[in-house]
Amino acid sequence: MMKINVILPAVLLAFGLTALSSCEDGISNVSTAEAAKDITGSWKVVQLTRNGEDLSQRLDLTDFRIDFNPDGTYTLAEQLPFIANAPGTYSLSDPQYPFALILKPEGVQEDVVARFQFPVVEGERQLSLSFSLGCESNVYQFNFERENQDL
Amino acid sequence: MKPVTRTLLYCYLAVGLFVTLFLVHCGLTALTVTVPEQAMVNERVTFVMHSGAEPRIEEPGTYTTQLLAGIMVPKSWNARENAVLTFTSPKGNGTMRMIPNSEIEPVSGVNWHQAAKNMFGIGPNLVDDFEWIVYRSPQSYTFRNNEDISFDVNVECNVGAENMLARLGFYVGSSIENLRPEDTDYKKVAFSQVFEVTGGEGDLIDFVNPQLAAIQPVRSLDNDIITLTFDAGVTHTALDNQEDIYLTIKCFDEAGALIAEVNEQTDKTRLTDIGGKRFLLDFWPRGYFNLEKDQRIARLEYYCTDATGTQRVGYGNTEEPFTYTFRCQ
Repeated sequence: MMKINVILPAVLLAFGLTALSSCEDGISNVSTAEAAKDITGSWKVVQLTRNGEDLSQRLDLTDFRIDFNPDGTYTLAEQLPFIANAPGTYSLSDPQYPFALILKPEGVQEDVVARFQFPVVEGERQLSLSFSLGCESNVYQFNFERENQDL
Repeated sequence: MKPVTRTLLYCYLAVGLFVTLFLVHCGLTALTVTVPEQAMVNERVTFVMHSGAEPRIEEPGTYTTQLLAGIMVPKSWNARENAVLTFTSPKGNGTMRMIPNSEIEPVSGVNWHQAAKNMFGIGPNLVDDFEWIVYRSPQSYTFRNNEDISFDVNVECNVGAENMLARLGFYVGSSIENLRPEDTDYKKVAFSQVFEVTGGEGDLIDFVNPQLAAIQPVRSLDNDIITLTFDAGVTHTALDNQEDIYLTIKCFDEAGALIAEVNEQTDKTRLTDIGGKRFLLDFWPRGYFNLEKDQRIARLEYYCTDATGTQRVGYGNTEEPFTYTFRCQ
């Protein structure tokens, strides 16, 4: 009887420790780090608002796209109402929790900054940029979707 | 239902009935405003709001609140910086304080200024370049039954540097009532007659009268996306009964030299019919005129035409072109 009293707790403890350690393994295998935001690719405008007024249906947005390249450069389609009017380099204010997209257009001394959001809308990742083009009182929001690279 | 629950329910209904019977009859009297007909640019002008309180409260109950007052003025007046609101009443006088942007109006969930804009809009004005600014008395005041008073709120404000015609908005309210949409007793709103600012340089900004043609936003630069509207319902013109309206437009630099002209009747210049005899065209001026990087447009001159380009309508239905000046201030 004495033997059982000693052995049973020991066995249970051993099982428990094994279970606990496997739990730890399981937990430690789940990455809790926020993924770095990857915006590389070709993006097309799907919605454009000015001071909250939706202009998407009234403007021809078909040629409105921006390419963010893996080497940190970006290119624009020609002649667009955008905060930068030349290609250059880009970066995010923070790799994991960015609130701003920072562009350095070629030939421009100062950075140009757009408010950055990266929501998922109807299952599609969107790149949402807000900024002023002319007067500061006019705020534009451009919502982009990634273009299908196969097309 | 348990007796205790039933008693609580009755108490609740009784309190509700009490509030409905007695407090609903409490409120503010109609708001009237004294606004001069006109002022010179940059003049400091005084507007006066007249209202009153009519507390109808079951004795010995009281009603304690702070006075709210709001103004709706053109953004270009920069009233947040230079307007001063004071109030005079039998219960006390004082200077009102602008409610901070960070303070949320509880019913709408947005700040007080935006809540007022959402609730009262721009009244009888037709073009929106206005802001509502809401102020509150620093002290609270307690009212007893039938303690009727009249009070005035004086608004001193500089009228800005632009020639304009506008109808200004005014509001008085009770702080503890917030901006409840259904409330008609504790929030009183009035819009002035047409107020004119004269003596400045530049185009007259007419917020009040229907415009044959206009460009929005009111303030923009050539890198903004602008919307040009033509309202054929304003008056009879050479373009009556035309199904398609086109734009012919010139752009000028700061020195007044012509930069470019678009004079064609194509999809590029055709306005979209949006119903009600109104037509519009959105465009980005820098792209529309295919500008070089170092070129800047200061001013536009334009006409609306028929499909042949021979019938055209200009400012005030004359041969003068409509004009638009790019600026932010």
